[in-house]
Amino acid sequence: MVADDMIDEITELFCDEAHVMEEAGITYLYLPDLHMPMGNNPPMQDALLSLNPRDGYPTRLFLSTPIPGKGSNWSIHNILGKSWHTISWNYVEFNGRLADVLANHLKAFA
Amino acid sequence: MMKDQSLRQSFLGPHSEDVFKASKIGFIGLGGGGSHIVQQWAHLGGGNFTIIDFDVIEATNLNRLVGATLEDVKNSELKTSIAKRVIKNINPDADVKVFNKPWQEVSDQLRDCDLIFGCVDSYQARRDLEIFCRRFLTPYIDIGMDVYEMENGYSISGQVIMSIPGSICMHCMQYLREDLLEKEAARYGDAGGKPQVVWPNGILASTAVGLAVQLLNPWHPNPPGSVYLEYDGVTNTINVSPRMEYLAHTQCHHFFNTEGMGDPFYLLRSKK
Amino acid sequence: MKIAFKMTDRFLKIVRTDLNRRHPYAAERVGFIACTVTPLPNEGWIIMANEYHPVADEDYLNDWTVGAMMGPAAIRKALQIAYSSGKSMFHVHMHEHSGRPRFSKVDLSESQKFIPDFWNVQPDIPHGTLLLSHNEVVGMCWVPDQPIIQSVTDITITGSPLLRFWRNA
Repeated sequence: MVADDMIDEITELFCDEAHVMEEAGITYLYLPDLHMPMGNNPPMQDALLSLNPRDGYPTRLFLSTPIPGKGSNWSIHNILGKSWHTISWNYVEFNGRLADVLANHLKAFA
Repeated sequence: MMKDQSLRQSFLGPHSEDVFKASKIGFIGLGGGGSHIVQQWAHLGGGNFTIIDFDVIEATNLNRLVGATLEDVKNSELKTSIAKRVIKNINPDADVKVFNKPWQEVSDQLRDCDLIFGCVDSYQARRDLEIFCRRFLTPYIDIGMDVYEMENGYSISGQVIMSIPGSICMHCMQYLREDLLEKEAARYGDAGGKPQVVWPNGILASTAVGLAVQLLNPWHPNPPGSVYLEYDGVTNTINVSPRMEYLAHTQCHHFFNTEGMGDPFYLLRSKK
Repeated sequence: MKIAFKMTDRFLKIVRTDLNRRHPYAAERVGFIACTVTPLPNEGWIIMANEYHPVADEDYLNDWTVGAMMGPAAIRKALQIAYSSGKSMFHVHMHEHSGRPRFSKVDLSESQKFIPDFWNVQPDIPHGTLLLSHNEVVGMCWVPDQPIIQSVTDITITGSPLLRFWRNA
């Protein structure tokens, strides 16, 4: 599902590492130290990008720390044994290019 | 030699006291359901509690939160403090670990639980809790109740579900479904002030505790495995859900690559 | 230190079924369990059985002085599994009786010869050995930075009923 060249593009543009992980039928991309858009505090944080439909979201970005003043309807989840925070930013489809998906999610924090 | 307080439950066997004392139990959610369960587990002789709830008591909780007082409401007491007080008043020697945070943030404290009770108020929380329990091979017992308005009155219903790793899960039982999770997510977690009353919580909590005792210290040769029990508050019955009939020979496939996998980030770190 | 070992009842059944098989010349069978390992927040580990790897018939040595003796190929294969999977390895065998089993002097001395070798491929995690009887399980664990071999303090067989074996019970 996640080709190597897609991972390479992610690590070129957004963070130094990316790891494909799975839980209960959902594939996640783990992005340690993801560079957040300018003006965000913290400027880098661990993130998870879900690549399968989950709770009505075709894809979804989860962050290790919520960001006050950014996004709306923050909710907390436990995925892969850790806590993650996310906002209501929907309808970002996985249309074949992972970097696009991630970029579209990061728009919510611009 | 059994303590006096265990004598009336001696039918549970000569080692039951040790089992209750040593078993590490997680209690997620200390509201109407969780407060009942905690109290009962303390009465049984439970010795090792991990209690988690970030909330404080409000006046609207007083109709059902076991152990709570009007003074607690005036003081905006933490639900965990009330639970700890209840436990310690019954069993002063109990080890009670308290976490006043969302369970999702302190889940590492639950890794070595022998069993976890979930008394949470969303499908998403239940889904996440069950996955976590499967990850650490921990049996999970979930309770919840609802009151529905009908044409000519109200209906009260509820569930007690035991989900044991290696066996069928809440998805297999169709209690958790993607459409329900999607609808809930669209409400952004706003459960609203749902009607909640003490007696169904008591019935559900007692049933949950009974299942837990059967699992940890059975008094009968055939304790149940994963099970979905449905409560009907109008007919005052608890029955095995009809869905279970179709699941007798089902193997759960929902936790492939998850069950017993522990902390995947630790494995990742150690591979570097 | 709490060292908790968990496996499902279904997994244990697979292990027992294999260990019960007759071997052409060894008196008993042995195997390896590849496990995930997670540290506990207040020191200690939770170790969970993931995959069972029986020792192949041809990898036993024909040694009548002991119940079963693994050859170098068996250990090499187990090391390879540990290396490629990143998992902890637990050797397992069974004594034919009911009640709490006890590691014999030979069990422990032989384990000491090869269990620490797993640190050559997976250095930062515990490895160990389990011993089954007909109805109980005990374990020993080699933990990094611990000078003494540790007992597995809690063994849980997840199923209904939940079977618990505490070291000090």
